[in-house]
Amino acid sequence: MRTNDTVTGLMLIALSGLMIYLTLDFPDFPGQKYGPSLFPRILASGLILCGAILIARGVSARRAGLPWIAFADWTRDPWRLASFLMLPALVVLYILVSEQVGFIPVAFAMLLFMFLWFRARLVVALPVAAAATWIVHWFFATMMRVPLPRGLLTDIL
Amino acid sequence: MWDAIGLAFGLVLDPYVLWVCLASAVFGIFVGAMPGLTATMATALLVPITFFMPPVPAIGAIVTATAMAIFAGDIPAAMLRIPGTPASAAYTDESYLMSRKGLLDLNLGANLVFSAVGGLFGVAILILAAPLLAEVALNFSSFEYFWLAALGLTCATFIAQADPLKGFVALLMGLAIATIGIDPAAGHPRFTFGSVEMLQGVSFIPAMIGLFAISELLRGVVTIDQSAEMLKQQVGNVFRGLGQVWRRYWRNFFRGSLIGTGIGALPGAGADIAAWISYAVSKRFSKEPEKFGTGHIEGIVEATSANNSAVAAAWIPALVFGIPGDSITAIVIGVLYMKNMNPGPAVFLQNPQLIYAVFIIFVLANLLMLPIGWAAIKLAKQILRTPRNMLLPMILLFCIVGSYAMTNSIYGIIIMLVMGLFGWIMEENGFPVGPVILGLVLGELFEQSFMTSMIKSDGSLLGFFSRPIAATLGVTTILLWVYMLTRNARSRREPA
Repeated sequence: MRTNDTVTGLMLIALSGLMIYLTLDFPDFPGQKYGPSLFPRILASGLILCGAILIARGVSARRAGLPWIAFADWTRDPWRLASFLMLPALVVLYILVSEQVGFIPVAFAMLLFMFLWFRARLVVALPVAAAATWIVHWFFATMMRVPLPRGLLTDIL
Repeated sequence: MWDAIGLAFGLVLDPYVLWVCLASAVFGIFVGAMPGLTATMATALLVPITFFMPPVPAIGAIVTATAMAIFAGDIPAAMLRIPGTPASAAYTDESYLMSRKGLLDLNLGANLVFSAVGGLFGVAILILAAPLLAEVALNFSSFEYFWLAALGLTCATFIAQADPLKGFVALLMGLAIATIGIDPAAGHPRFTFGSVEMLQGVSFIPAMIGLFAISELLRGVVTIDQSAEMLKQQVGNVFRGLGQVWRRYWRNFFRGSLIGTGIGALPGAGADIAAWISYAVSKRFSKEPEKFGTGHIEGIVEATSANNSAVAAAWIPALVFGIPGDSITAIVIGVLYMKNMNPGPAVFLQNPQLIYAVFIIFVLANLLMLPIGWAAIKLAKQILRTPRNMLLPMILLFCIVGSYAMTNSIYGIIIMLVMGLFGWIMEENGFPVGPVILGLVLGELFEQSFMTSMIKSDGSLLGFFSRPIAATLGVTTILLWVYMLTRNARSRREPA
């Protein structure tokens, strides 16, 4: 997904504007005219300047015939597009359900689903998903004592 | 000093450390050899593991894995015409054409040996230069540190990038992200939107996993079912004929290593740029430039030495000033801070044994490269056949758990996801992600030295030039800016 530099520039300026707005109620150092707001404001001003140059560039690129937004070839292939969107979607799913359901079932289901989606054979996908889940759990939860969510398996583990 | 060196040997020759280095070497070779997985990604994936280790094995793991990965990137270049890491891209075509001519053995042998020796060259310079620079740096105050950070960030955005403006935007974004959380001068919470977790700022490791690993995965999934054609040729004795190559091209080796070391030590430019430049230099000064591009070994010798020497040289500014030489050392600096081993000249005085341990591990890693690299070449066809449709999902799971482990909460995963998508969009639009991580790592030091200097000089900018070294660094930085701006303006006018 290539957006024209104008779009990027506008977004940068909007973001920097928000940043400066948020610094307005930061306190100053006692006896000085500046404080924690100084550095973010300098950065935001820099970004606004860059955004302006990007807009100028983008406009001339647009005049030269480049589109506002262009999608890569793979986005026209539904399977590839779905594969791409699946990755962040699965991470969001993990964020939402892992605490209740627990690491082991969620990780196993996610791996198995992805393996099968990417056309691995079930006889390979099942054992690999189980083994990978177990190794990651063993390493992080058992060895490194990371409190991976237990969820449904609280009573068993 | 000798006590410290003795201590350092004791630290490194611990069986646990050696075991970690060996495992990281194998890991580095594998990640480097897999197209689409880079040395930076190897580091990003290692950090959550090293987080739980003492400093020496943690650093040892990163050093060994990156050195191996940069070499291993040469293997698929020769066999599939796909560079395993961007550092091998400069001579991928040359390598592949050489293999097509039936010189696969010689090519892989030269890549292996010159990578190892080039790496040792870079390490030698690191060992010689770092302590000397550290002595100079001991006299630095906040003014010098401010300018040093400014100079480092300037180099990172301008020298290394195809589009300096976009590099600069990336850097500012990184610095802006670093301002989230408690501010370092007054302790006031900034941009936290009332969230308790955001008070700690954007955790560096999940952000890095997102930028370097998740964005790679997003690019990887859309080509997951495409595979390149493997060379049919079998690997034989890779060391045959290397003596002759050395006798003919030893000058290329030294020049490549020297260029690689110089570029590696520059903030912001790493192994990939070292390889591109030394390959171009090799062609420019060759007696037979017409042979370049037909499967000629000369440029490969020079560039493969250069990229490995750059790996070690990037540690010079990182250890001495705490200013990263490339994205990998940016990650390393983050790790050092977490281990309370803040990089800077003081480490050389307070904990010299840790610095010597880094040196020893670097030598060890480059020596280890010969046997492990040889084994990897022999097993290359099996390694390159690893199914990506199984590998990518496992890396995703690992990224999720690794990010979670850093904050022990969902917050880490959210940072990873946001930064991953952000990194992907940036790269799609030609914004480099390296400067973001530099900004994120250096942000606090940069702001702190800036604010301290402002308070010291009572808000006067002249104070920034009041000390001789600070003034020199400041003027250098400003001259670089003026030079880049005028060059940019001129190049804009000419082609139009």
